[in-house]
Amino acid sequence: MAKTIPAEDPELVERLRDPSQCRAAFEKVIRLYQEPLYWQIRRMVENHDDAADLLQNVFMKAWQSIDNFRGDAKLSTWLYKIAVNEAMTHLAKERKRLSMSIDDEDQHLANLIEADEHIDGDALALKLRKAIASLPEKQRLVFNMRYYDEMKYEDMSQILGTSVGALKASYHLAAKKIEQYFDEHD
Amino acid sequence: MDKENDILTRAARRDGMTVPDGFFDSFPELMMSKLGEHPALIAERATPKLSTWMKIRPFVYLAAMFAGIWLMLNMFTFIGNNHDDLSVDNNPIIARALSSDSFVDDYYLYDIDENEMLDDIYDMGITPEELSDSTFEFNDPSESADGAYDYSETQI
Repeated sequence: MAKTIPAEDPELVERLRDPSQCRAAFEKVIRLYQEPLYWQIRRMVENHDDAADLLQNVFMKAWQSIDNFRGDAKLSTWLYKIAVNEAMTHLAKERKRLSMSIDDEDQHLANLIEADEHIDGDALALKLRKAIASLPEKQRLVFNMRYYDEMKYEDMSQILGTSVGALKASYHLAAKKIEQYFDEHD
Repeated sequence: MDKENDILTRAARRDGMTVPDGFFDSFPELMMSKLGEHPALIAERATPKLSTWMKIRPFVYLAAMFAGIWLMLNMFTFIGNNHDDLSVDNNPIIARALSSDSFVDDYYLYDIDENEMLDDIYDMGITPEELSDSTFEFNDPSESADGAYDYSETQI
């Protein structure tokens, strides 16, 4: 399962900026980034169908604004930014649709995890997912990016627009809360 | 901290999530079918191509405007510096026009209001009797043969 972020390919970025080669290059982008982006979104929305729809939105938005991508930022950073925005917007819409507060969201996500059909039956992993779902949104994002994707704090800083120090603190706090969750749910 | 690390180490970055079979194999093809044309090509088609005239038209209009201003300034300068040339003495065309009886009749005399002229004459103290001696003929309507009009009461 290729979940890690692919290394930056300057030739691919160059082809993306050439209208005659852009389409073929974009197909390669989809093949390279579909998995890391999907898992990033899925861990936030905790549902395969929503994650699949949001992944399509991410690539559609990236394609529509491909002219704006000048290669100043990393391709992965640009795509992750779109994915994070899509996931956060979806969660906000869901909260509004279900008329729930941000505090009720963890219970909603726990219910989604319980109802998830696409799981491999790993009890510890399931419990960890529930523990992560109990974290505030931004902490969940930070924890997922650092723990599952093993993303560098510098890259996370560019995606989330937060300082490295704040991200480190956020990750540390998230890990503490997960430990606390495990203590409370032994 | 040890327990926290222990949990995360034991979980070994597994999230227990799976996807339907073949999801990642079919996704790129599905996505490509939804993409449509390159945005730059769509934008290019939506933007009408400009002819050479359309491209240079603003500059031509600008040049014409400046030329017009330059000509107007030159004309005012010319008039300001050469107003003597417009006098009757230095202008044979105006002099010839004013020396022509028909021009004076057409453009000057017929413009004069006759009643105003008579008012002015009376204001100057000239009577109709005096006028009758002048080169102008003055026919008093009260003296007409049929007597249809009587202007004896008329204040001229």
